[in-house]
Amino acid sequence: MSLNEIYQTYQHKIQFIKVYIREAHPVDGWWFGKGLMNALLRLSGSKVSWEIYDPKTIEERRAAAGDCAESLQYGVKTYVDEMNDQVNKDYAAWPTRLYLIDKNGFVVYAGGLGPFGFKPGELKRALQKHLQEDMIS
Amino acid sequence: MGTIKNRREATTWQHNYDAGAPRIGDSAPDFELRDIQGENPIRLSSFRGHKPVALIFGSFT
Repeated sequence: MSLNEIYQTYQHKIQFIKVYIREAHPVDGWWFGKGLMNALLRLSGSKVSWEIYDPKTIEERRAAAGDCAESLQYGVKTYVDEMNDQVNKDYAAWPTRLYLIDKNGFVVYAGGLGPFGFKPGELKRALQKHLQEDMIS
Repeated sequence: MGTIKNRREATTWQHNYDAGAPRIGDSAPDFELRDIQGENPIRLSSFRGHKPVALIFGSFT
């Protein structure tokens, strides 16, 4: 199940927040724009960009976040981490990660480190379980 | 945190910061961030008592 489908199903019960963080594989960093990894990602139909340089200012970061939101179409509104990467660091979020926070502010699901621990299906099951438990209590 | 250049830097960064990342049962670190226009600040703690929150972290690459 995609994040977009999860969002469409649960958006009335759960607040979804997309946090755009430092680029994972920019042209000027650990770039996947060529070679075997690029070929595999292209075959997978991935919508990631191969042309982004790591933003150096908050304005550049906001622009990249906007391009990302437009391309990936999660449906979830995007918020942008500051240039000190504080939220990214607090959640060890780079390159990608999922969390579910209950309405008392406690973590009820902490996804694994990305990219291999990024599992929307796990988030969906955590959402279902949490909402069921919340109804019972 | 600068631009990560290779797998070794990525692994080191994840190892260092994951040690302090919140686990199940921990209080979620609060934050306030703005949208892609630099407007409409949102604070995680503003949802306390109202709604659970799903956080989706990622970038374009």
